Amino acid sequence: MNMSCSPFFRRLPPGLRDAPEQPPHAAMEEAAEWYALLISGEGDGDRAQWEAWLAANPDHRQAWRYVEAVSQRVLAPLQDTADPRLTAENLHAANVRTLRRRRVLAALALLAGAGLAGWQHVSPGGLIMAMTADYRSGTGEIREIGLSDGSRAWLNTASALNEDYQAKQRRLQLVEGEILISTAADAARPFFVDTAQGRLRALGTRFSVRQENGQSLLAVYHGAVEIRTAHSGETLVLAAGRQTRFTAENIQPPAPADPAREAWSQGNLVVLDLPLEEVAAELRRYTFQHIGVAPEIAQRRVFGAFPLRDVDVALKLLADAVHLQIRRPLPWWTTLEAAPEHASPR
Amino acid sequence: MNAAGCASSPGIEILYSDHHAWLVGWLRRRLGDAADAADLAHDAFLRLIIKPAPRGFGSFAEARGYLRAMAQSLCINLWHRREIEQAWLDTLASRPKDYAPSAERQAIVLEALREIGALLLDVPPRAAQAFLMSAVCGMGSQEVAGELGVSARMIRKYVAQVMLRCMQAQACQTSMALRDPSS
Repeated sequence: MNMSCSPFFRRLPPGLRDAPEQPPHAAMEEAAEWYALLISGEGDGDRAQWEAWLAANPDHRQAWRYVEAVSQRVLAPLQDTADPRLTAENLHAANVRTLRRRRVLAALALLAGAGLAGWQHVSPGGLIMAMTADYRSGTGEIREIGLSDGSRAWLNTASALNEDYQAKQRRLQLVEGEILISTAADAARPFFVDTAQGRLRALGTRFSVRQENGQSLLAVYHGAVEIRTAHSGETLVLAAGRQTRFTAENIQPPAPADPAREAWSQGNLVVLDLPLEEVAAELRRYTFQHIGVAPEIAQRRVFGAFPLRDVDVALKLLADAVHLQIRRPLPWWTTLEAAPEHASPR
Repeated sequence: MNAAGCASSPGIEILYSDHHAWLVGWLRRRLGDAADAADLAHDAFLRLIIKPAPRGFGSFAEARGYLRAMAQSLCINLWHRREIEQAWLDTLASRPKDYAPSAERQAIVLEALREIGALLLDVPPRAAQAFLMSAVCGMGSQEVAGELGVSARMIRKYVAQVMLRCMQAQACQTSMALRDPSS
């Protein structure tokens, strides 16, 4: 595969400082066709013809200058990346995702005209559900919500929640992300939280639920919560101080809940003996920036409390705590690396 | 606020007080982020000041419809920019650690990705792929044709089509730069 930039763009005869008026459309079209032929790998025999076309008319030369400008300004930087094919594939994927969101937005605009359609009737997929959810938090945002029965809910970063309170029951639906719930007592109306994998019934309680890819994570801090999985109908009552993950089919054996986990509702990440790699992964949920960890320090153990509302401050504290240095070649690109040897360890 | 100076259509301050809070709410529900919503609402009103709707707004509903359409395109632009940035991060992340282009180089690549990305949003996906494979990856038209399952001749047609759009965008930029030599 020929990765190099085609030589034709750098071979323009000198002295082409023509008037700035745009060349006629036909000349622009012909230039674009010549470009397509010359880079196709099949036009070698046509080189002389291309040169003749170029010489025949100043409009042709001027149109070709636009081909040249496009090639040098926007195509060459992409061709010169380490793996142009990967660059192109990722760009295409980004465009496909954007087009999908554009379609969803257009569909929503139509729905808006049809009045307030209930979310449970309109959602073909997670994206549209999250966008139309009753409560939403952005990346890096932690929100506290007072529910109408006096219960409180905290939405962690990038989360979406629907509320469906009725005469006989209180029901929340976690669409994405994580919530912490502190329920108010109401003997007449049971309190449910639904995830994609099953239904949770609160038995007087404080607990957090996290929607992960294909599974849910439940941690109970006070009281107890009953899990019922969506497909198999398996049930389990999880007591305070325990946590577990479940899919629509089954429930993993419970493990001790990490009490530090609920600290996010206060805007803190409390870490008790976790590898640096996992701490970075957790911080990544709160920011649009990329946070990379050098492999040789990924397993360093971390203890400490870090503010989630300001990830930059959290990174500085983390750097102090674990004795590492922060490299930031771009505003949204952060790499954590081992600090130089000569610096005094802490 | 008094809009006595604006005879035919409500002044920008009336539009602002009628619609700003609603627009921020609308954007916020879609973006899930208060700061982004405030920024985009600000952009929308700024655009209205710089380039008012051609014939003004006949009614409250018409103004809302116009603002909603504008807000939608601003949302798409914001999402697209973020998607492109994420795509570039993914590209970088999959390279060995020693590959680290300079910040300046990266800024140039990102700008190129944004420009080509925005242009390719408006062409058929197949033409976009054909163009990227040919013009960026340097694949021959036979090879691209094999991957996309169309003829090499069709591939050349796609490439020419997209290149023409790029050239027109370039011409547009050049003439703007000529009009405003400071930029």
